[in-house]
Amino acid sequence: MPECFDHKKGFARMLEKLHLLGFAEGGRGMALLGAAGMTLILSVLGFALGTVFGALGASGGLSSKRVPKALASAYGTIFRGVPDLLTIYLFYYGGSVALTAIARSFGSGNFVGLPALVTGVIAIGIISGAYQAEVYRGAYLAVEPGQFDAAKALALSRTQILRLVIVPQLLRHAIPGLSNVWQLVLKDSALISVIGLVELMRQAQIAAGSTREPFLFYFAAAGLYFVIAGITGQVFRTAETRAARGIMHR
Amino acid sequence: MTIRRMAALAAALTTLTFGNVAHAQNLPTEIKIATEGAYAPWNFTNANGELDGLEIELANDLCARMKIKCTIVAQDWDGLIPSLTVGKFDVIMAGMFITPKRLETIDFTRPYAVDPGGFAVAKDSELGKLGLSAERFDMSNEAVAAIGKLKPLLKGKIVGVQAATTMLDFVKKYFGDTVEIREYKTTEQHDLDLVAGRIDAIFAQQTALAATLSKPEFADYTIAGPGFVGGLFGMGTGAGLRKEDTKLKEMLNAAIDGAIADGTIKRISEKWVKTDVTPAK
Repeated sequence: MPECFDHKKGFARMLEKLHLLGFAEGGRGMALLGAAGMTLILSVLGFALGTVFGALGASGGLSSKRVPKALASAYGTIFRGVPDLLTIYLFYYGGSVALTAIARSFGSGNFVGLPALVTGVIAIGIISGAYQAEVYRGAYLAVEPGQFDAAKALALSRTQILRLVIVPQLLRHAIPGLSNVWQLVLKDSALISVIGLVELMRQAQIAAGSTREPFLFYFAAAGLYFVIAGITGQVFRTAETRAARGIMHR
Repeated sequence: MTIRRMAALAAALTTLTFGNVAHAQNLPTEIKIATEGAYAPWNFTNANGELDGLEIELANDLCARMKIKCTIVAQDWDGLIPSLTVGKFDVIMAGMFITPKRLETIDFTRPYAVDPGGFAVAKDSELGKLGLSAERFDMSNEAVAAIGKLKPLLKGKIVGVQAATTMLDFVKKYFGDTVEIREYKTTEQHDLDLVAGRIDAIFAQQTALAATLSKPEFADYTIAGPGFVGGLFGMGTGAGLRKEDTKLKEMLNAAIDGAIADGTIKRISEKWVKTDVTPAK
């Protein structure tokens, strides 16, 4: 009777269904793992592209010239302020409408669109870039001013100062913030499911809707996200430790 | 960037086209059909990752009748209509009801299935005691009386409905003053909340409800009260397509007529949803 949901029995039932997560005939383990791989690819590429946008945004934000400063500020404000899902939709639908229009003007009547993965990487890159820009800007400001003076005193050129002195120290300050942005990217990647890319979230949804076993598959997806976040979090911690070698903690 | 590189880039971009899209007044020879792929038993993805279900089998049958090449792809529900209008595919077959609202944006073929909307509740609830009813009410006439009878049984209850669906429009319009409506992104989310006891009833297509209720966790739940068709639910479930693809619409309509006439739809629907959902005439 439905007065109380029998959790013990519910759990036992769930164990019986575990074969659905397996790799044998009828199991969806391989599909889920493949989708987790897609999530990882999407996140890594999106984060990497975000590094480029972030660096541009940070250098604009630190610039003393008015135009780059205004552009960087607008970029950061827009993409951190607009819901990520909206940004993704804009790129997916807006992008293909624009591309098709361009193709038409060249005389091709066919529909042109970027594959979902490319759209997803660009969307995540632009969103995470807006956050990364702030991380890099903060990290740059955290580098001791004396380092610039010392580098100048060694008669290093501007690019040498940046490449040899400032960026290595800047990255050290940036790692904890970047680790934060990475977790954000990982979760944003789930939003890419709306544009038809079969990553972990979409695969879990497909399996849940197809077998009518939502609990099992959403649990499995949560577990896989947890594993990805755990392993990649360790990468950032290792990087942080390595970057801090030889630094005296105040 | 050199001119040659730009040309290479442009060429690369044009090869990213999504296949041959059916043109307005040319007879299409190749189309792309989209489905949700997560709505068993209408359309779902099997363990091998292949699309399967009533609409997949029907789509293949219709394509064979039209003698054209079809590719079936899966797309998240929310993205189906926008993706159709921008041209990412040509036809939607995803348990989508033909409604006036949707007809503002896209066109539909004639219905290939009529699947009533209905409530699922706990067996021992007031509405649940009514039990499964085979009654069907057409919204265009006698349904208002039936709704009047259901209202006292549902007073103050929380009803889960999938957002952006005709089901939601129906519950809002006819039960909005009686029940508390909770919207869900997918049907399995309201199924879960029903079992969790967070909501008292769900309203969905009866065939989808039947599939959910066949699971052991739902042993204490039942479809209750009559099924509703017509009116807000439009004419039933049809294939969505762009308004300008009139030739494709004619072809699909002829194919659906054929599949109705020779009993194919009856056979396929009895196989997948255990009832005959063939539309009238």
